[in-house]
Amino acid sequence: MLKRLGSMGLPLVVLVLIFAVGPYTVFNNPATLFEMMAFLALAQGINVLYGFTGYLPFGYVGFFGAGAYGASVVVLKLHFPILLAILAGGVIAVLISVILLPMLRLSGAYFAIGSLAAAEIVYNVVANPNLQSVTNGPYGINLAPVFNATLSYWLMLVLVLVAVTFVIWLRHSSFGFSLLALRDDPVSAGMAGVNIVRTRTLAWLASAFIAGLAGAIYAWHISVFYPGTMFDLNISIFAIVFTLFGGRATVWGPIIGTVVLYGLYNWIGFSTPQYFQLVYGLLIVGLVLFLPNGVMSLIGRRRKSRHAERKGAVMNV
Amino acid sequence: MSESVLDVRQVVKKFGGFRALDGVSLSIRPGEILALVGPNGSGKTTCINVVSGLYPADEGEVLFQGQRINGLSMSSLARLGINRTFQIPKPFKALTVEENVDVALRNIHPATPLVDDPLAFVGMDHVRDRMASTLNSGQQKLLDLARALAGAPKLLLVDELAAGMNPAELRQLAGKLRELASRGVALLVVEHLMGFVNQLAERVIVMNAGREIFEGSLAAAAKDATVVEVYLGG
Amino acid sequence: METILAYSIIGGILFGFFYALLGLGLNLVFGVLKMVNLAHGDFVMLGAYGAYVAYSTSHINPLITILVEIVAFGIVGMALYYGIVPRLLKSHDPEMLSLILFFGVSQAIEALATFAFGQNTQTMNPNVFGNHPLVIFGQQFQTAWWVSVLVSAVALALLYLFLYRSKLGRATRAVMGNREETAASGINVNRVSTIAFGIGLALAGIAGALTPFMLGGIYTTMGVGITVTSFAIIVIGALGNPLGTIIGGIVYGVAQFLMQSYLPSWSAMAPFVLLLIILLVRPGGILGKGARYA
Repeated sequence: MLKRLGSMGLPLVVLVLIFAVGPYTVFNNPATLFEMMAFLALAQGINVLYGFTGYLPFGYVGFFGAGAYGASVVVLKLHFPILLAILAGGVIAVLISVILLPMLRLSGAYFAIGSLAAAEIVYNVVANPNLQSVTNGPYGINLAPVFNATLSYWLMLVLVLVAVTFVIWLRHSSFGFSLLALRDDPVSAGMAGVNIVRTRTLAWLASAFIAGLAGAIYAWHISVFYPGTMFDLNISIFAIVFTLFGGRATVWGPIIGTVVLYGLYNWIGFSTPQYFQLVYGLLIVGLVLFLPNGVMSLIGRRRKSRHAERKGAVMNV
Repeated sequence: MSESVLDVRQVVKKFGGFRALDGVSLSIRPGEILALVGPNGSGKTTCINVVSGLYPADEGEVLFQGQRINGLSMSSLARLGINRTFQIPKPFKALTVEENVDVALRNIHPATPLVDDPLAFVGMDHVRDRMASTLNSGQQKLLDLARALAGAPKLLLVDELAAGMNPAELRQLAGKLRELASRGVALLVVEHLMGFVNQLAERVIVMNAGREIFEGSLAAAAKDATVVEVYLGG
Repeated sequence: METILAYSIIGGILFGFFYALLGLGLNLVFGVLKMVNLAHGDFVMLGAYGAYVAYSTSHINPLITILVEIVAFGIVGMALYYGIVPRLLKSHDPEMLSLILFFGVSQAIEALATFAFGQNTQTMNPNVFGNHPLVIFGQQFQTAWWVSVLVSAVALALLYLFLYRSKLGRATRAVMGNREETAASGINVNRVSTIAFGIGLALAGIAGALTPFMLGGIYTTMGVGITVTSFAIIVIGALGNPLGTIIGGIVYGVAQFLMQSYLPSWSAMAPFVLLLIILLVRPGGILGKGARYA
């Protein structure tokens, strides 16, 4: 039992080592580490939705941007304390996801492109000059009065740990099994007593909450930004690719995907973003054609066959 | 007064202008095995789909233990004690065989289990830890049955379970289903294989074009002029 | 007031032919393969740059460029199909994986186009086709504009003739109806699909060459937006139904014009709002069957 808990907690230990100890020892680059953490949180959020339910949210960035702007408006206009405002950012993302609940009736491409349209709508509302009095429209936000680089860094780490813990729980709970069952076949899952609507809804709200909080903390950390910064479609795409690369519906997949790909991105240090866009565009094509279940599927497969000799297969965690 | 588990009353199901079920009525008592037979497209599977909540009836009533269940979701029906197998089973591929059954056990929480171990009951003890994606189609059907039994149904709808099985397997399966009936489960069986129906059901309903055309024993059905005409003249 | 309304409606209908053309390539590919080509908009963008570069470097009339692009895009489409689609169709979830894959293709094209053409927005001289404005009900429409509308209408008519009057076109519609059954009836589904993919991209190329006149400035990152717009158009009409796309294009065109006339500051989000409303209210589209469950 203790051993089991230990192996479940391993991802958390590794993440704390990288992001809490890292800045003071080997990788002294807090800006990169912070961005990487933001993507870790987003990739796990995508994992909750796409990995466990099969809904592919191209417009996931909409929740991120809504969280960023939600928190900023609450701080600047309502003068809430910053931590409360960040929570409010998460809540606003959840509220938008509640409005968008009917989208869960859509399947496959309809959902994916519908979510993209929804994100564009949120962006167009936030950036609209008519709403300058609330969001400052296209002219951006300045959070200098509450800026705190250190605290926001640690808060992002907390969010990452919470998101990873949530996914670990999903991997081991009835709820997570129900989600996977629902993803594989909604009709059989219904007959297995899985409440289709409620289960999907919870996963959707949870993943919106993670993105909203990530956006809010991100906004706090960078403190000066424009609508285009926070609603950049590439944010969705990066998070999806990182998740897909590592392996969806696993705990380690999104972590490995983000650390390896985002690490590589910064290590190579692309001078023009188009080089990276080209590389990850081709990477997506290669992944889908040759490794559709991600890096973790290689590890999982090997472990399974090793176990199978003794006692059947195990699930890849 | 009604001791039946299931009462279907004048149910109509339309797809566009096509009446897949055109006023069907039937009832089953606890422990009874009723077979629905008839040519392709006669409405047998549609009937099971309506009872199990996959689609709503357009007209008529479905009663389970005297309670109206029209419009309830599949998961609510599963918790009430209605379960089913599928003609083309789709196991949860990301899960192991055992976890497939666990999903049903954990979500339905039956007060008293129907069988101690659904996987052992269907003879899948030895593949518990395999990934469901690795099963062959016969095993997938048995897993589907085990998943349905895990919900401890009082009414079990069985859709074309026998297809693709050899005679020995069929005899064994018929024995299992009769054992379930002896424990008080009502079974509504849709089946093409008349040999299998013969081993199972005392009573059959023959359907054609969304209507019942005969009700009685299989032997009597074989002598009925309308039934013979539907099967041979169609 | 009334003139604005008349202008919006007439303009919207005419523009609708172009929008229909924009959606048709995507719909043809979807109909045949049940895959959404998320790189569709990027091929439109390439078509636009083709016309722009040909004109600005060698003064080649865009109508000539269109003919060249039909051939070039058709060949690229067929090659692309052979390279990836059969492998995709064998995977465990072609629908989702194709979505992701074509998104990758889209990103790669966008990056390459930015290397080739730079990051600036380019515009084309609207007097390429001379200066013979068309006047309808007292409303003036400039030459490049009505020529584009005319070209769109001709392309739609030719596609219609192909689909409904030729043997190959009938086979294509059969595949759109039911891929498995058509394969069983002896039609070479793979060949039909390859050609449909080629035609789909050729249509994207034609629409692209007209884009500078219809949508204004062109830039290399416009692909994603065009894909979403095209998707909106075909969803309005009904996915997999080529005639529906024409209705979708016209509905979309009129809606777009009305928004621009009456709510200009919100018109940028019109395609997205329209798409979301249609998806949620009537996912099967105006001509579609509608109901979906689970």
